[in-house]
This record gives sequence, C-alpha cells and structure tokens, in this order.
Amino acid sequence: MSASDAFGLFGCGVLGLAAVATLIPLRRLPAGARYAVMLAAAFAVFIPFGDLPAAAYLRGITGDVSVTTLVLAGAACIARLSGRTLIGPRDLRALFWVLAPAALFLYPFALGWTQFDPYALGYGSVGFVTALLLVTLAAWRAKLYALVFIVIAAALAYLAGAYESRNLWDYLIDPLVSVYALVRLLSGLRHRLSGKVTQPAG
Amino acid sequence: MTRGGWLRWGSLAAVALVFAGLYVRTLALPSSGGFAPAQAARAASPAAPLYGAELLPNSTAASVHSAAAAEISGGGLRAFWYGGSREGAADVAIYTSVYSPKEETWSPERAVMTRELAQRQLRRSVRKLGNPVAGRDRAGRLCLFFVSVSVGGWAGSAINLMVSEDEGETWGPPRRLVASPFFNISTLVKGPPLQFADGATGLPVYHEFLGKFGELLRLDALGRVIQKTRLSWGQSSLQPVIVPRSEAEAVGFMRYAGDPPNRILMIRTSDGGAHWSAPVKTALPNPNAAIASALLADGRLLLAFNNAGENREDLSLAVSEDFGDTWRVVRRLEGDPGSPGAPVAEYSYPWIVQDRAGEIHVLYTWGRSRIKHVHFNTAWLEERR
Repeated sequence: MSASDAFGLFGCGVLGLAAVATLIPLRRLPAGARYAVMLAAAFAVFIPFGDLPAAAYLRGITGDVSVTTLVLAGAACIARLSGRTLIGPRDLRALFWVLAPAALFLYPFALGWTQFDPYALGYGSVGFVTALLLVTLAAWRAKLYALVFIVIAAALAYLAGAYESRNLWDYLIDPLVSVYALVRLLSGLRHRLSGKVTQPAG
Repeated sequence: MTRGGWLRWGSLAAVALVFAGLYVRTLALPSSGGFAPAQAARAASPAAPLYGAELLPNSTAASVHSAAAAEISGGGLRAFWYGGSREGAADVAIYTSVYSPKEETWSPERAVMTRELAQRQLRRSVRKLGNPVAGRDRAGRLCLFFVSVSVGGWAGSAINLMVSEDEGETWGPPRRLVASPFFNISTLVKGPPLQFADGATGLPVYHEFLGKFGELLRLDALGRVIQKTRLSWGQSSLQPVIVPRSEAEAVGFMRYAGDPPNRILMIRTSDGGAHWSAPVKTALPNPNAAIASALLADGRLLLAFNNAGENREDLSLAVSEDFGDTWRVVRRLEGDPGSPGAPVAEYSYPWIVQDRAGEIHVLYTWGRSRIKHVHFNTAWLEERR
C-alpha cells in the first residue's frame, strides 16, 4: 500500500470513527465501555471485510478528507472519549469564519461558474501562499492556536505529499468541513437572532 | 519561558519554517513551457490509395464503447475500449487488443482493468468504469487513463492512470488523479494526452457536474496533477481534443451540448497552452457527440465527426489546410445510404492515430456492439469518387 493510500484511508477512518462517536452517546457509558466501543468501531472501520475496509467505501464517496477535517474529527473522537476539549469554542468559531468564505470563494468557481479557477492557485501561487500566511499570522496574533496548528499540519502534509493531491487547497478544505462550518455559523446566527427576539425589554 | 510563551513563540517559529517551505516549493515550480516539438517526420504514403476495415474482436460484451489506441513498437497498434452487459454496468471492463499491420488482424481481446481490480488497487469503492484514453509519457511509456465512478452517474467520475513498461503487456497499479476540490468528482477523459516541452504530460479533461467545461491538466513524471488550465466554462462544452502544431500553437475541438445550432466548438492558444481563446462554433455540425482530430504528417488537420446536427448515424472525415479555419468533408466512413450498417445505426466516439509509416487509423464505436477499425493513406483520403 502506498503512503498516500494509507494516509487517505486513515483520514476517512478517523472521520468514520468521529461519526460513530457522535452518534453513540458515549458520555453516558463508563470509561471502559467507551474505549471498548471505540476499539470495536476502529476494527469495523479499518479491518477489511471482503475486498475493502469500511474506510475505503467512505473514501470512494468523499475522496481524501482535508487535514482540517482530520483534525476536527480526531478532536471530536477525543472529546467524546475523554471529555477533554482540544479545540475551544473561540477557536472553532474563528475556524468556521475562515472556512465558510473560503468555501464560497472556491467551490462555485471551481465547478465552472466562470473562466476563473481558484483551485488552480493551489498548485503553486505566491499570492495564495501569501494570503494563507496573512490569515495564519492574524490567527497567531489573536492567539487562535488551534487554527494556526491546523494550517501548519495541512502545510506539512502538503509538503510531504501525504495525499494523492498536489494541490494545497485539498489539504486545507473539503466539502464536508465547508458544509459543517456553514451549518454551524448559520445555526449560531439563528440562535443569536432568536435570543435577541425573546430577550425581555429593558 | 512559561508554557504560554513556548506556545506563542514556538508556534510562530513553526509558521515561519512551514511557510518558508511553501514559498520554496512554489518558487521552485518549473515555469510552464510550451508544447513538445512535433514528432519526427513520417515516411511519405505511397501514391496508390489504400483502405482496409475490420471489426475488433468482442467475445463477451453485449455493449462496447469509446475506443482509444496508441502505436506500439514494431508498427502495431494497441487499442482499448470498455465493454460489458450495458454502459455503466458493474461488469464493464477495459479491454485491449493488438493490431498486426502485416496480417491486418486483431488479437483476441483481454481485460486490462475490471471494476473489482480497480477497487482493490485504488483502495476505495468503485461502482463502474468508463472511457479509456491511451498515449505515451515523455519517457516513452504507454499510459492508460480511464474513468471510474464510485457514486452516482458519469458526473461522479474521476480519472485514473496506469503505466506500462512493456507496451501494454503488463501494467502497474492505477493511481487516482485529483483534479477537482469537490470530492474529486466530475472529471472525465476522451481526448488523447499530449506532451509539453518541459517533460510534463498534458491531458485534456472535462467536467459534467453542474457545469460542462474543458480543462487541460499538466501531469508530472509520476502522473500527479501539478497544474491545470481552463479551456472553457459554462454548461455546453465537453470532451476537448487538443492538437499542437508548434511549441506555442495548438487548436482544440470540443463536443457541444448547448442550444442550437449544434456545431463543433473550436479553441486556440498561441502561448503554449497558458491561455485559450473563448470557444467559437465552427461550420461543422455536432449532435452532442465526441470528435477526434490529429495533425497529419503533411501539416493538414484531420477531423472525424458525426456530420449531422441531431444523430450519430453519419461518421465522416474532414480536412483543414489552414489549421482549422476552413474545412472540407472528404470521406464518409459510415452512413452511406444502401451500405450495410450496424443493427443500431450509431457510429460514434472516433479516435485517430497516424502511425510512423504514415497510415491513418480511425477507431470508433460501431452500433454499440463492436469497435470498428478503418485504416487508409492520404491518397485514399483525397481519391476522387
């Protein structure tokens, strides 16, 4: 198995585990049972039944997930297992505010809306790298270290050629995390608006 | 230093190092060279018109489609196509056969890729296989690109690449090309690959999800996508075929899927493929069907196309002496009234190869039940009838 296949399957497997950890109310179980459930889920996800493991079926649908998705999925697994929150709400909100506009910039154009193709920038553009550097420095200045860590991890994976793709975009963002960011932002906005409406006057 | 201090200044140092790496990688990218110089001149064709035709073997598949071919050592031709119980079925495989010009026969077909094998080797689920495309990389190795789908219809396609070191007898495992940020779906191939002067391989591809448009991928020696250029955009152009004439100049043709009048689309570049003109409609009809084109050894362009606006019953050849500005229809390969035809009158998805001896080969889907091979010389092309 090539390294890129292994990394791709690992990413999809972790995403699958995060889905299991989210769907099953793990926090209600005793610690031992929690780890047993996740171990069983890991077997189900990574051990082949027939030709392929479940992670490979997920990979057929999603392709290789971005490092951002991988980090969020890994953090979700740890949070459900141990109760430790690795990425705080402030960092998450900032991450979503970066991801959502990036997705709105990337996908419509990449899918052929106009002659301009922002996805092509990900193969090697000084402008694109500089824009990413500015976002990362802004995050660093605001002490949003989770965001900084995600960018560093994605860039390292890109430089190492961890995935099949040689496009930096594919390490930073994917449709799954984009939809997740948009849904979380819209849901937060809805809650804020409804809170304002129901807030008593005076 | 406190833990917070380490985090703050350590993360900044990590950012500096990583971005130094990104800048070095970006600045070290080779500048996009133009197209590779044209192939060595081929031998002149004999003056006497030559023409032959055969149906390729098909012992198992009820439905076959989308032939591609490449000349192999010894002057033979290796063809590829997909076949199965029906288009899009799980039993569709990519088949190959070898043509011997001396005996004018094709070897029995054999499958080079099945859905199950693709699934195992690509390490992801695969639901069906589609268009194969053949060519050579700069190292001279035979390359086979093919479409696979994991979810949905053809709009869910991705492209895979296999390489052979022994002219197609054996193949390395396929690798997935990543050409779209949206689940890497909706990228398909139909046109032959080409070469860039810097050693990269060019692959014309098209997208079918939401929009229908063409792109030219640039692949490195390992077959990874390292750059791409948009050939068109919108909802109506697909299956690009690119024909370079010099390092700077190339012309491209695309299938048209828009509102009438239904015409073949043409694009041009004069800077080695860095920029392309907007597609313009040619005078030649196009019933939303694939076309093939090649630059002949004498400098003329040859085009194989369905010469009708609404159906694929007429497959004709046209030549251009001014690199695509004007065309002359010179031969009708299929669709002559009274001539015996396929049970289903559909002649489509042509593929053109001119071999080193100057003979021209056209392969195409013949009634969806067979692949047909016609071969001729330029004297036959111009013969007065």
